[in-house]
Amino acid sequence: MAIAYSDKPFKVRLAESEQDTFMQKAVAKAQDAQWTKRTASRNELGHWEQWRELGQQIRQHVVRYLPDYLEEFADNAEKRGAHVYFARTDKEAAAYIRELAERKHVQHVVKSKSMVTTEIDLDQELLKIPGLSLLETDLAEFILQEDDWDEPTHIVFPTLHKNRDQIHEIFAKIGYKGDNDPQHMARFAREYLRASFLKADMGITGCNFAVADTGMVNLVTNEGNGDLTMAIPPTQVVVMGMERLVPSLKEAEVLDNMLARSAVGQKLTSYCSFSSVAATGESDGPTEYHIVIVDNGRMNALGGPFEEVLQCIRCGACLNVCPVYRHIGGHGYGSIYPGPIGAVLSPVLRGYKQFGDLPFASSLCGACTETCPVKIPLHSLLIKHREVMMNELHMDTGLNKVTYKALGLATGTPAIFHMGISVDHSMTALLSHHQEPTAQNYFMGDGIMSKLPFILGGWTVIRDMPRPPRAKDNFRSWFKQHKQLQEAGR
Amino acid sequence: MNDNREAFLNAIAEKSGRPRHQLQDHPFQPLNDLPETTLAGKSPAELLALAKQNSEAVHVTFLTSAQADLPAALSAYLANQQPKTLLLPTDERLAQYGLSDWVKQVTPTPQYWVPGASREDNLNAAATADVAIGCADMLLAESGTITVATTPGQGRAFHFLPTHYLALVPASRIVPRSRQAMDYYDAELKAGRLTTSNINFITGPSNSGDIEMVLVVGVHGPLDMTYLVVTDA
Repeated sequence: MAIAYSDKPFKVRLAESEQDTFMQKAVAKAQDAQWTKRTASRNELGHWEQWRELGQQIRQHVVRYLPDYLEEFADNAEKRGAHVYFARTDKEAAAYIRELAERKHVQHVVKSKSMVTTEIDLDQELLKIPGLSLLETDLAEFILQEDDWDEPTHIVFPTLHKNRDQIHEIFAKIGYKGDNDPQHMARFAREYLRASFLKADMGITGCNFAVADTGMVNLVTNEGNGDLTMAIPPTQVVVMGMERLVPSLKEAEVLDNMLARSAVGQKLTSYCSFSSVAATGESDGPTEYHIVIVDNGRMNALGGPFEEVLQCIRCGACLNVCPVYRHIGGHGYGSIYPGPIGAVLSPVLRGYKQFGDLPFASSLCGACTETCPVKIPLHSLLIKHREVMMNELHMDTGLNKVTYKALGLATGTPAIFHMGISVDHSMTALLSHHQEPTAQNYFMGDGIMSKLPFILGGWTVIRDMPRPPRAKDNFRSWFKQHKQLQEAGR
Repeated sequence: MNDNREAFLNAIAEKSGRPRHQLQDHPFQPLNDLPETTLAGKSPAELLALAKQNSEAVHVTFLTSAQADLPAALSAYLANQQPKTLLLPTDERLAQYGLSDWVKQVTPTPQYWVPGASREDNLNAAATADVAIGCADMLLAESGTITVATTPGQGRAFHFLPTHYLALVPASRIVPRSRQAMDYYDAELKAGRLTTSNINFITGPSNSGDIEMVLVVGVHGPLDMTYLVVTDA
């Protein structure tokens, strides 16, 4: 599975997502639960805005001096005995790891959850090796793998779209005989995967942060599979995006705290580890250790308007507050990076032809920007994408452009604007109709419009537009009258 | 160094429009000291109380014992767990806790994570252990986290493969939060006093919310965790 996992047009994906009512309920429940946990854990820490400023400062400093930090990290990792490989593309990265597995005659691979290995389609590349077995060991990723490599729907909770009965069915195919209790199914996965861990000869992990001044790799998990992957197999591969650096253990500590609170509302995740090549005298841990540092389009963000997207620490908080994600879920986006961060990042990595729809999958409410622990201005970057894309692809020279020009002229010329709002009520008479008043439409006494022409049609596909009030009842008239009354002291 | 490193780093510099090798003149200086000042100034008694509260919040069984009573406390723990196999580290801290005699007579007869033993032997001892009793370096009051640095006598998988896990930690090593632990490890590594390849911060038993976001405690790592704070150590 590469960054894009669906060839279907955006509108088809949206239509499919709208039909998936279980997913919508699950996402809503998850968002609400995470809201409570996340807010409580941030409040308990205190001074959250100042923590955000510190997090932003750390990430911006790293991105600013990225080649220096990468060089320092690679030098220190190599001093510890690691092999560091820099890959410009997904194919280069996957081929390096495949060749390593072939050279080492690897037979059993265990992986812990990693977005970047999904991004480079590593699983499928390794499974080309005859006789090689590969198991995702994170519970959610394991479920997706056993369901014929189903698509993830969230960067922290990849199986949010599946219910316990579906998971029960998947596990029954591989020998599970119990009920659909999550605890029982998790125990089954533990036993099933334990055997694979013990015979694994290669472990593959991602990297939350690479620590420049010690050459260690920081990984945060909750299940313990990541640490078993780093302890048991004699060969380990770490795959990391090129921006995932921190200056020292101290900055890793800051970001780990912010990550856990933002992602799952915990103070720290169950396991937060800093590791490297097994040292002399230690009998477990990898004796052969490869770190693959991946560009795969990230350099497109450097020095341009989207550089701040490289600050991301992959907490998923922006997904958990997004009203669009709540409605369409992860599959609607068609990218392994969904939600607001995915809508910004995916076009940076793969361009507008593939992901040009995503910057429009936003209400621009700004909730994502407000929750981001490292202060990425996500909704501003979405607007910027729209602007850059229009220019790059020379889009919209047709009716929309004419319409926007007309709107621009009308709203920018006071005489035309005032004339417009004095006649909008009567001009929309034919488009409007009335409904019985309810709590939801109580303030729409002038009627509603359910189908509008041209660019306004996008609005009425999913919601009604209130008919403009009569000129004497509109806000400007009311305000003018209110002001006069106020000045008259009444 | 592989051939593509320089090309890669130069490409970043070119794309960003910023020359390489500027960091030494612009080292990172944090804009605030929140990591150090948060929860600072707590007394040892306050830290112990906070550690207990936050450990229990992450499903840890939190026990305390004076060093003189430690053998009895550990025996009571084992009587409750009824393990068939017990794993201990090869670690001088067991003797410092006054447990040299206890380990000779405890039932079941302990297996050890042995320095110099093969990977297979140590992993097998951990994988078949019903209970492991490990020595933690520190306990973080804010999050209920123990910290351990891998040693030849207490390997990585020591903390992850056994079914039940008890960590011994001295009360004198309870610190407010992760920053103090990180300062310690950072200083020890840079001074060359610590040569470990791996540091773990462990906050309670393994868990997952991957199935309908229902919290499952005990996934790949130990199914339960006990912290035993030695109050006078």
